[in-house]
Amino acid sequence: MNYNYLILLAYFISAATSFADPLRDDQAEWLKTMAFAAHQSNYSGTFVYQDGVGGHVDVSRITHVVDENGEHERLEKLNGERREIISSPNQVWLITNQGKVRIERRKGKRIFPALLPEQILMLKENYVIREVAEDRVAGIHVHAVLFKPKDNLRYTHKMWADSQTGLLLKAVVIDDRDRIIEQYAFTELTLGDKIDRSWMIVEPLAQSSLKSPNVVPVLTAKTTDWQIDAIPSGFKMTQHFCYPLKNRNRPVTHLVFSDGLAGISVFIEDLAGRENVNVGLSSQGVIQVYSRVAWNKLITVVGEVPPNTVIQVGDSVRYAGVE
Amino acid sequence: MKQNISAFMDGELFEDEADNVLSRLKKNSELQQAWQEYHLIGDALRQPDYFANDFSARFHQRLETEPIVFAPRRRVMQKARYFAVSAAASMMALALVAWLSMQVDQERTPQLALAPQTLDIRPASFSNNNEINDYVMAHEEFSPTTDVHGVASYIHSVHR
Repeated sequence: MNYNYLILLAYFISAATSFADPLRDDQAEWLKTMAFAAHQSNYSGTFVYQDGVGGHVDVSRITHVVDENGEHERLEKLNGERREIISSPNQVWLITNQGKVRIERRKGKRIFPALLPEQILMLKENYVIREVAEDRVAGIHVHAVLFKPKDNLRYTHKMWADSQTGLLLKAVVIDDRDRIIEQYAFTELTLGDKIDRSWMIVEPLAQSSLKSPNVVPVLTAKTTDWQIDAIPSGFKMTQHFCYPLKNRNRPVTHLVFSDGLAGISVFIEDLAGRENVNVGLSSQGVIQVYSRVAWNKLITVVGEVPPNTVIQVGDSVRYAGVE
Repeated sequence: MKQNISAFMDGELFEDEADNVLSRLKKNSELQQAWQEYHLIGDALRQPDYFANDFSARFHQRLETEPIVFAPRRRVMQKARYFAVSAAASMMALALVAWLSMQVDQERTPQLALAPQTLDIRPASFSNNNEINDYVMAHEEFSPTTDVHGVASYIHSVHR
């Protein structure tokens, strides 16, 4: 028995596998860096968005400020009718010409940083990640990273991140036929502390004037009652809740699945005699929504995945509890 | 003048107007900046492999050295005169939107014409459906996509 030969062979095998994808860890790290930058940087910039399906283009101003209370975000559409979202750690408001509407924010909101090691692992299972180019966006030097799915149940994501901070400055989502599903890019960006903060919600003051409770209570859903047979491989359930949704009488069960990059939510809502419900497929950019009625429930699937995937998931939701 | 540049880029000016744009571009650095920005944004959305990094410098250089021989095709004037703009802040943005929309349409058409049989599903937009919007907002609160895209994720609730 020639042990030297075996050792040599083992050496070659290990060398081959490590050379096959030498930058593999670094690529996934980019996503972590981007997530970190998105939550921790102060920035303000102009942003062009195009919904690939509808073809409409919107120009918006985005501002993100972090203070001792947490993150404050503002997205203001600059063309067309007024639509603006302002969020603080505990509140989200949609502002239109018709007025301000409070959007609920659920307790149990993910704790930052949300990209846990297992998520990075999932990412590598489902996507081939590679750095494709260095470039410039909004006058800033960026690195472009491509996330190409290993099946056609997900979209391809291409992201351009600031080489220094990791902030995402441009993103394109492409389907399996190379059609652009949505894309956005900053055309101008200011980083740092010299940013207008006059719009920020001062929480204690704002809270006292509110009628509705600050955060919607969340109960743990009895997930065992519901089976989703055809969740695409690589998606794992990350969260499950049961909470009241605005203008609904009964609590909604909400299951969240993630493949490390895209998310799929399954909502199960008691119909309670309602008749005018929306069923079928609708979309906006990367987000697809599919609803159907079964077991006297409205089942709605929302995800950053192709239409076929939300339909597959929605059609496979099955009641597995006691009738 | 910036609208003229935009129209010029789309080949929608008559010769004399184009000459006028070019001669003003030559003198005015602010207009050169606008010219550069329009191209950058166009590039950004059309996703080329490379941006023209020193576009401004090279453009200027060529403008200096080349004689202006400009012979656009004669054609019916399209609606290049755009629109009245009210808010000063959104002026630039509006001009861009108009221009970008035209670009998008021009690029989409051949693509659709080439492969009509592959267009399987064209779902309706949910943007005006508040009930679905509630679900989308709730989804985005927990989706890993939001972690990476940050504030930009809210665009789905603002875009119509």
